[in-house]
Amino acid sequence: MDAMASQPTAQLHHGRPIDPALPRRLWRDAAIGAGNLVAWASRRAGRGSGASIRGQVITRLYPMMFAELVAGRRIAAVSGTNGKTTTTHLLTAAAEAAWGGRQVVTNADGANLREGIASALSQNVKAPVAVLEADEQIVPDLIAKGRPEVLIMLNFSRDQLDRHHEIASLGRKWRTALTAAGEKAPTVVANVHDPLVTWSAEAAGRVIWVDMGLGGWTADAALCPNCGTILAYDADGSWNCPGCELGQHPADYTVRGDEVSGPEGAHWTFDLQVPGRFNRGNATCALAAAIEMGIDPQTALRAMSTVKAPAGRFSIGAFGDNRARLLLAKNPAGWAESLLVMDSDPVVLAIDSAIADGTDVSWLWDVEFEKLAGKHVICTGPRAQDLAVRLSYAEVDHEVIGSINEAMARPYEGTVDVLATYTAFLNLCKMGGVEW
Amino acid sequence: MNEPVKIVVVYQSLLGIYGDQGNGTVLTKRLTWRGIDARLITVEPGQPVPDDGAVYLLGGGEDLAQVTAVRELKADGGLFRALDKGAVLFAVCAGYQICGTSFTVGDHDEVMEGLGLLDVTTRRAPQRAVGEILTRWTRPDGSESLITGFENHGGHTRLGPDARPFAQVELGVGNCGDGTEGAVQGKVIGSYPHGPNLPRNPELADHLLELALDTQLGPLPHDRLNAELDELRRQRINVVRHSKNLAEDTRWLGERQ
Repeated sequence: MDAMASQPTAQLHHGRPIDPALPRRLWRDAAIGAGNLVAWASRRAGRGSGASIRGQVITRLYPMMFAELVAGRRIAAVSGTNGKTTTTHLLTAAAEAAWGGRQVVTNADGANLREGIASALSQNVKAPVAVLEADEQIVPDLIAKGRPEVLIMLNFSRDQLDRHHEIASLGRKWRTALTAAGEKAPTVVANVHDPLVTWSAEAAGRVIWVDMGLGGWTADAALCPNCGTILAYDADGSWNCPGCELGQHPADYTVRGDEVSGPEGAHWTFDLQVPGRFNRGNATCALAAAIEMGIDPQTALRAMSTVKAPAGRFSIGAFGDNRARLLLAKNPAGWAESLLVMDSDPVVLAIDSAIADGTDVSWLWDVEFEKLAGKHVICTGPRAQDLAVRLSYAEVDHEVIGSINEAMARPYEGTVDVLATYTAFLNLCKMGGVEW
Repeated sequence: MNEPVKIVVVYQSLLGIYGDQGNGTVLTKRLTWRGIDARLITVEPGQPVPDDGAVYLLGGGEDLAQVTAVRELKADGGLFRALDKGAVLFAVCAGYQICGTSFTVGDHDEVMEGLGLLDVTTRRAPQRAVGEILTRWTRPDGSESLITGFENHGGHTRLGPDARPFAQVELGVGNCGDGTEGAVQGKVIGSYPHGPNLPRNPELADHLLELALDTQLGPLPHDRLNAELDELRRQRINVVRHSKNLAEDTRWLGERQ
């Protein structure tokens, strides 16, 4: 039977069959139109970019939105507990430099669940390349539906335990998804120092191992994810399992300071605007992914050096006469790294415990605030008093100014560094006129 | 010169996911600031647990970590010897559960034998207990003290005849919703509000030290910290009493009437 005969006559137009996918696509476009309208209204009402509400509306009206929009593109996905947003911005810059801005779509705002990704993709449906930040929970679904070409796995650490995510079970889901994808699994760019990342990544056919120069955060990796044996760590942060075959892989890419070495003796030097050694590690993963996707390394490096303030992170806000550099950290591992880039004295630390921050602030005692000794700390935000007690026990000089407004109205010399939990960070961006 | 008083954080990497090492910092500093030489020691699995410590601390952790900790502590024996010599053990959350005679782990609720230091048993609760908690603790002199903390556990713990409740619940869940929280047996104290709960409860911190050293410590000579602690406790007690949802509404939003 020929194809024509299978079409209902109602779909015939000028004697030719309408593309059978067309009605669905019309329905999809209508959903996107409705989402854009709601987003526009949300922006006019001063409620942010509207990306989040757009994502909810279009996914509600057209439930296949995520699955359809991630299919049929070249996708580079970025996931892990810390560093997703910055790494995504760095890799996007490289991709745009290589192929042009209209050819690349990304969820630059950090909205990294299905709705947020669908929202971003809906704004450039035809872009052949997508660089996507993905929440750890949706990575298995993204692997199954989007078949990414590259997946960057940065790290797994505890985050908002009041929501009781067990990180071990997340790693297991990633591993299962990679195994299920078989030959269609992405090339994984993986952090050699993270045992759970290593164990998950090994299920992929091709893995590019990256020494991100961190080596440090072992507090969440006591037991072997494969066999449960207590892992052995060397003084340099390298690890292995005494009970099974799992162990640290030799790195294909290694970063130390701004110097990166790659496969076959390759060597590059970073000239980045984003601060901190963790961002050198993130940039190394982005570079490895870019090269894997066929982007010229020099093009990638030049483009990454233009990235300044991914989704507001490290941006300079204006607070009356004050200028403040705004830093975000969401969990103990993030705080440990962020404290290292605090330059000013005093520094402002803003602690909140809204749902998006984690409502339990016991993590304050996992952060080595002792490192701030010698500086004066302004404690602010709804949980400033919890921080004040922590700093007293750390013997770090401090004062409490509970209201963030008042804390930022203090006279500061030069640019003051402000490190904040998620909700406090968003408030600070708003107050300081930082948009993205 | 006397040996320094040892505060021992046991298996921080296994049982310390909620900042539980903070309890060790608090105990050590509260001795040091009183002019008593004290040292904070963290032992990890594979290292011998010293048996000459004054206070031992166990914190929160995931199922597999609990099983590993029990196996390692039994094989090592140091903690048991220390308790025989009169040391104090303060165990919170998952650490509290493993001190009992049995607890369950995994998706199939496999029953595991505990350390047997407290006459309590823990089984999976129908619902996870997450949120701020406020309890009343009767101090040795008969006076009452409020304990403020944050609990996050999936187990229900029931006490046998040899253990008595540590505190009575005013708000929150505690052991199993029967109004009791924690357990005491000799110098072993187990409690759900997880680490670090001693920063929020300085009277309990000093009680553990007094129990271990068999002495009265008197007020902490650190006026600024004492004032900060008073304010922190005032805030936490106020928030928990006015919160509409103990798990989600934990912020300090100024005075709420």
